[in-house]
Amino acid sequence: MRKLAGVLIGCGAIAREHLIALAELGTVDVAAVCDLSAARAEATAERFGVAKWYTSYQKLIAEIRPDLVHITTPPSSHFSIARDCLAAGLNVLCEKPLTVEYSEFVALKELAATNGCLLMENQQFRFHSSMKRIQHLVSSGSLGDILELQICISLNIMGAESPYIDRNAPHFSLTLRGGVIGDFLPHIAYLAYMFTGPVNDVRTVWKKHIPDTPLTSDEFRGIIKGERTTAYVSFSGNAQPNAFLIRVVGTLMRVEANLFEPPRLTAKRLRPGEPALATLVDGIVEARDVLWGTVAGFCRKLAGTSSYDGMRESIAKTYRALELRQPQPIALNEINEVALLVDRLTRSDLRL
Amino acid sequence: MKVLVSGAGGFLGRHVVDRLCERGHDVRAIIRPGSQEPPWRGRVEVLRADLRVCDDLVSSFDGVDAVIHLAAATSGSEDVQFASTVVGTERFLEAMTKSSVKRLVHVSSLVVYDWRRARTIMDEETPLLGNPYDMGAYTIAKIWQERIVSRVSQSNSWNLTTVRPGFIWGARHTQIAGMGRRLGKIYIMFGPFTRLPLCHVKNCADFLVTAAEMSESADTTFNLIDGDQIRVWRYVIEHARRSGGMVVPVPYRMGLGIAYLASLTSRILFGKKGKLPSLVTPRRFESQFKPIRFSNRKVTKVLKWVPPFDFDECLRLSFPSTRKAGVPPGTND
Repeated sequence: MRKLAGVLIGCGAIAREHLIALAELGTVDVAAVCDLSAARAEATAERFGVAKWYTSYQKLIAEIRPDLVHITTPPSSHFSIARDCLAAGLNVLCEKPLTVEYSEFVALKELAATNGCLLMENQQFRFHSSMKRIQHLVSSGSLGDILELQICISLNIMGAESPYIDRNAPHFSLTLRGGVIGDFLPHIAYLAYMFTGPVNDVRTVWKKHIPDTPLTSDEFRGIIKGERTTAYVSFSGNAQPNAFLIRVVGTLMRVEANLFEPPRLTAKRLRPGEPALATLVDGIVEARDVLWGTVAGFCRKLAGTSSYDGMRESIAKTYRALELRQPQPIALNEINEVALLVDRLTRSDLRL
Repeated sequence: MKVLVSGAGGFLGRHVVDRLCERGHDVRAIIRPGSQEPPWRGRVEVLRADLRVCDDLVSSFDGVDAVIHLAAATSGSEDVQFASTVVGTERFLEAMTKSSVKRLVHVSSLVVYDWRRARTIMDEETPLLGNPYDMGAYTIAKIWQERIVSRVSQSNSWNLTTVRPGFIWGARHTQIAGMGRRLGKIYIMFGPFTRLPLCHVKNCADFLVTAAEMSESADTTFNLIDGDQIRVWRYVIEHARRSGGMVVPVPYRMGLGIAYLASLTSRILFGKKGKLPSLVTPRRFESQFKPIRFSNRKVTKVLKWVPPFDFDECLRLSFPSTRKAGVPPGTND
């Protein structure tokens, strides 16, 4: 059977994660990679055994007809590259955010529909192992009715060697609305949307905790009122240690996971009987879950499992959809809703 | 001679600029926009630019006779180091191709060698590392930087001198990888009798300026060390004596054995994908602590150069506790 062919445009850190995932899949032939830096393109090709490398994506797509183009460049270039690929009738899997402006996404969506192309945003945390366990608890009814969702990212973007505050070479995310935080909002938005459904209203607070930095904001809080439930979302560039916490509160259970540290997941459920005894049982169960999850997480790191849990499945599902001519793993309309939500979060401007 | 120095705001760069000035050369120093104001007021033409992003590098070569290229990252993620060291170099050299400058002195590192294939002595004939991707970010970046420099120089017929220094040390930079690891107040030194390829920053700067001045150094690669008579125990004890701390020696073979055992366990449990800290990765362990000799013969033979400062003098220059009373630390480096 013919292997599907993929190409990568952009050879930075996230491209390496795509290539690791593709190597693990073993069902895709990476036909070429491309980067503005010849050294980076060649080094990437050498490292991953890719036959061809380019410094011009136009030349690449003119010479190679891949089944899928992975766009792993900085966000400001996504629109023009995706537009050219879609115009050439090529399917596109693009890193988040798919476009800097929502209007650009609308243009790409129309182009993809006109040319019958797949246009996917890489929303890998949807396919994260902990997210799948949480979704299973939701769909099985174990959580009861979902009352609230909390998504809290803490990331040390203010550290001495952080590329986000490098004054010598400004980080690409500074061009995004919301700056560095804007680079993480797509993750927050698509995870929130999975639970809230269509969004009715959004309120946000943006704050600059440390004044003397090139960042417009380093703290963000938001409330998203959806048709199904409400989400409290936050990003802190100052809170430590690093974490990507997701907490789902239901009428029967609370469940919490740190997406940076799979597979640790803890749950507290409503237990019948003597309250003091139930508290003791809860504590023991939680301690067991924490211990098991921590040890398993450490073993995952030693085993070389990518910290980008969900990336492989996101890519695999995209190629599977192409191979079987099925609908794309995340419907374009849902990607549209998420892009719209990101736009609303960045335009809501109660700044402190 | 007018010399352009990239990476002039760094640890080695500052000393190179000082040495060039002492030797009466005109200097144009490239420092990053965010770097502190350098102490060369009036003596040196300072150009603020980051090689990764600056769009006007071509003009920095105007009127220049020779280039000493030092710009490189020594810390940060693989992506950050590759961008700073390799992509920065790529852009810098592209600008140089548009100038009339033909003389380039490039500073590489001993990490580009395949330490596993170095039997008893490491010299300029030791094979280079072919597949660097299971090594650290610094090694990957320095190997690619040297590849780029070599290719561009060849295709433009430049007079290239490549210098591969050992562990560069000096005032406020006395912690070097070959010492072992420091855990709080404890120094764990691997292979106490291993010879250290030390290269004091003042000796290194002196050699780079000499290499830029002498036409005999063109189209040649030099390994650069102070000498290989200093062993790990001596350096670590001198260091611990001045900065406090307890020294725990671990024989090299024991350390390497532990690394192999960890590697084997990882391979059995997790297959090829297994990841280990660098200290228990045999190839990386060897590239820091392997007990071999290091040769300075070529620099002596070709350029008749000997390090101007011996070890005791370098110690005096490097450790604040050995300074004269009343002189603030860091003023005599």
